[in-house]
Amino acid sequence: MDFTNKKILISDDSILARKQLKDVICRVGEGAEFIDASNGQEAIDKYKEFTPDITFLDIVMPVKDGIEAVKGIMEINKEADIIIVSSVGTQSQLKSAIEAGAKDFIQKPLDSSQVETLLQSHLG
Amino acid sequence: MFAQFFGNYLLNRKAVTPEQLSSAIASLTDTHIRLGTLAMHKGYMTAAEVDEVCFLQTREDKRFGEIAIERNYLFEDQLEDLLKSQNPDYLLLGQTLVDTGAISNSELEELMIEYQAENEIESPTDSESVEHTSKLIENFLLSAERPVSKYSVMYLNLVFNNLVRFIGEDFTPLSPVQTTGYETNYCVTQRISGQINCVSSIDMEPQTAVGFASRYAKMEFTEFDEYVKASLEDFLNLHNGLFSVNMSNEISMELTLDPPAQELDPVLTLSDNAFVIPVIYPFGTIYLILTL
Repeated sequence: MDFTNKKILISDDSILARKQLKDVICRVGEGAEFIDASNGQEAIDKYKEFTPDITFLDIVMPVKDGIEAVKGIMEINKEADIIIVSSVGTQSQLKSAIEAGAKDFIQKPLDSSQVETLLQSHLG
Repeated sequence: MFAQFFGNYLLNRKAVTPEQLSSAIASLTDTHIRLGTLAMHKGYMTAAEVDEVCFLQTREDKRFGEIAIERNYLFEDQLEDLLKSQNPDYLLLGQTLVDTGAISNSELEELMIEYQAENEIESPTDSESVEHTSKLIENFLLSAERPVSKYSVMYLNLVFNNLVRFIGEDFTPLSPVQTTGYETNYCVTQRISGQINCVSSIDMEPQTAVGFASRYAKMEFTEFDEYVKASLEDFLNLHNGLFSVNMSNEISMELTLDPPAQELDPVLTLSDNAFVIPVIYPFGTIYLILTL
């Protein structure tokens, strides 16, 4: 896929999780510009600053969690493409994130074909 | 899972030294299971017969099965059975210890029979069942005179399965150790709260963490950096997340996880019900510290 001029915001408190998601995306396509955030508040601030084409949010994060970040981003842009990256054991929080406006979700450990399908549907 | 615990059984029986075990584990990946070890395990041949055929192989350019059949130690149908049968994984460790001279074939034969009887192993596929793994973990805790609670068995059953799944099956857990003060290397802790309260930590030396992270993240790390540190946190978080899901599904117990964090205290003060399990991998030893 061609991700030229596409901005992708990845928010996760784990630097490894951010790297793994970036690596998977880079295997799917080229040209994306990545923006990192390590907590929910930073994700809202970076969204406001960069208006990314797609945003990946972890649920369990310090300062503000993924659900609060979804709400904060939705206040900035109701049409924002937000994908929740959920870990095991966060099913009830995942439901809250979807209700708050997240468009889709993927589960850790990441499956590259699932990430590809998701990117095709949201950025293709 | 029987392979992993077989090493600890051998240590408890003082059949091998920790150094011999570590060295055998380190060379496991280079070892292939041999027909003689399998024949002995199935009860088709005695250790003495296997030793004799191995000796004859140094004199004659023939395969093991060929000589064993010529000597009437093995029948054709038994050979066929050995070649197609599913083999228990603990045999490989046993054979490696024979190869390195730590034990003899006859000692291995005896130890295998006792190990199978003690853990009620009847067929090679037993090692796949949850009941057998639980029994194995109960024996593991009992051998160290640790109290056996339903939750600690469930927790350890999952942690060993997750080590197999995410890090690799080439490990041996050593008996749990009780201590009040534990000196940390690089240690990550996560608290679980709810109807049960649990503090779980994973600790290892930086170089071991590099090996651990390389396997967990499926990336080739060479130095102890932030990705390596994050790998330890991610593994613990993933494991405890799976544990909380299992507890919810199996016994309707809802648990909450705190985010995992690095332990900054150089010495952990542990309560009476805490224990430390050293787990030996070829890349180093990791320490699971659990208060449950």
